[in-house]
Amino acid sequence: MFTYIRRIIRFGWQSFLREGSLNLATIFVIIVTISLFTFLFASQGIVEHLIDGIKDKIDISVYLNPESSQDEIIDARDRLSELPAVKSVTFLSNDEVLEEFRKRHVNDPVILESLEVVGSNPFYASLNIRAQNTNEYASILTLLNSATFEDVVYKVDYLEKKTVIDKLSAFIDNINSVGLVSAIILAIVSVLVAFNTIRVAIYDASREISIMRLVGSPNKFIRGPFIVQGIINGTIAAIASCLLFLLVVNILDARINDMTNGFDLKQWWVSNLSMIIVIQLASGIALGSVSSLIAIRKYLKV
Amino acid sequence: MIVFENISKIYPPDSVALENISFRVGKGEFVSIVGKSGAGKSTLIKLLLREEEPSQGKIYFDDYDILDIKISHLPYYRQRIGAVFQDYRLLNNKTVYENVAYAMEVMGGTDYEIQRDVPQLLGIVGLEDKFGNFPREISGGEKQRTAIARALAMRPDVIVADEPTGNLDPYHSKEIIDLLEKINEMGTTVILCTHDKEVINSLKRRVITFDQGELVRDEEKGRFIL
Ligand SMILES: Nc1ncnc2c1ncn2[C@@H]1O[C@H](COP(=O)(O)OP(=O)(O)O)[C@@H](O)[C@H]1O
Ligand SMILES: [Mg+2]
Repeated sequence: MFTYIRRIIRFGWQSFLREGSLNLATIFVIIVTISLFTFLFASQGIVEHLIDGIKDKIDISVYLNPESSQDEIIDARDRLSELPAVKSVTFLSNDEVLEEFRKRHVNDPVILESLEVVGSNPFYASLNIRAQNTNEYASILTLLNSATFEDVVYKVDYLEKKTVIDKLSAFIDNINSVGLVSAIILAIVSVLVAFNTIRVAIYDASREISIMRLVGSPNKFIRGPFIVQGIINGTIAAIASCLLFLLVVNILDARINDMTNGFDLKQWWVSNLSMIIVIQLASGIALGSVSSLIAIRKYLKV
Repeated sequence: MIVFENISKIYPPDSVALENISFRVGKGEFVSIVGKSGAGKSTLIKLLLREEEPSQGKIYFDDYDILDIKISHLPYYRQRIGAVFQDYRLLNNKTVYENVAYAMEVMGGTDYEIQRDVPQLLGIVGLEDKFGNFPREISGGEKQRTAIARALAMRPDVIVADEPTGNLDPYHSKEIIDLLEKINEMGTTVILCTHDKEVINSLKRRVITFDQGELVRDEEKGRFIL
């Protein structure tokens, strides 16, 4: 048994060394397929980053009743913070709001002047609420409008944001499902292309296999070397893809950073390195061996 | 040792290749099967190797009905028959040495046996200096001798040779036939299919003549008559 396995590995290795152009073609399609998988995986990371970025910009501003006391405000804030749907609640006093407004419009003398005209601080103190999840804003809004918070809440910055929030929630759901479907379709197509290329490439195997059968080779002994060869091709393709991706990361890092508002491709690559290598190796080896198997299967009957 | 009993083979839909063939081959015999091309010689070999199944009749190998052999046991049955063909059927990406060794590796021969026997076999067929050459680097006669060495490596009970000289000139044809005779003298049964008149007439062995799928003559020390 051990002798058989040793021989199978040696035969596979020999075929790998001696069938240059065939292996090259196989490795090439596997690289293309793996790169596609990696690209899908990376774009998922980018989309997630973009969505997170958008989510971060969403909040609800609750303008507080100027008559409510410090205690009432703290109490309201604590109660809101305790809600499981709420991620954070930040209190801004009316002075802080004014300060921020000044900062934002520092280059706009007309607006600053108009503030002087008003004289007193026209802003309300506010609570900025962030939800854990975009789809939870609706329920938070409902709560804020209920009797529980009637005393403290002067006005909820609500209507303008509600439509944006709803649309965004729907959009994010859509991106996730469309992305998943297209990734699956792309993956299936690329796997089929790889299989077919390899099948065509080792078409000549029919002759070799009929000779092996003639000499009385059992099927497992015929199949083995093809699988070994496929595994070698797949592994090489995976390593090549890995290097290729490293190159792409280095070239595109800065550009992607600009395009995606701060997505750090290099950082993403480093933190997902083991996952990426597993995906690349697994898909390479699976493609290489399974496609060899499928390609020779029909010649192995009888 | 080998018995063909009322064998007919019709390739679908209606191509009759063999019709009611019966004969037996004894252990150690050297039998030539002759006939024009299309007479059914190759079909008979395919039936013996069980690459095809007869439409009618039975084939016994050492008293076993070969049609009873399970698919999973076919490789082990085929290991008992050394087959040699007009087109050599060598593995192109293996060297001469590896082609011969392959037959032993398949059968589970030990590394020691392989290292001992393969050079010896290549010596018998006169290829001592071609161990490391690939099939594309040697002549037709050398390819056929490699194929014979490979057939011998299996220590077969019988060697079947289907037009082994079909692609060779008379000089190299004679070399191959001499080699088959030598193998036969060492005790292996040989079945030789050919339509080469010179080959048959020089052999002076048993000759079975096929014509359009029928057995028309079976003579000891036969000659090529069509
Ligand atoms: N696979 C096949 N399908 C249909 N007819 C075949 C097939 N193989 C052989 N034949 C026919 O069977 C007959 C015998 O062929 P074959 O055994 O190859 O003869 P030989 O080897 O004596 O030249 C021929 O008429 C040939 O056309
Ligand atoms: Mg023929």
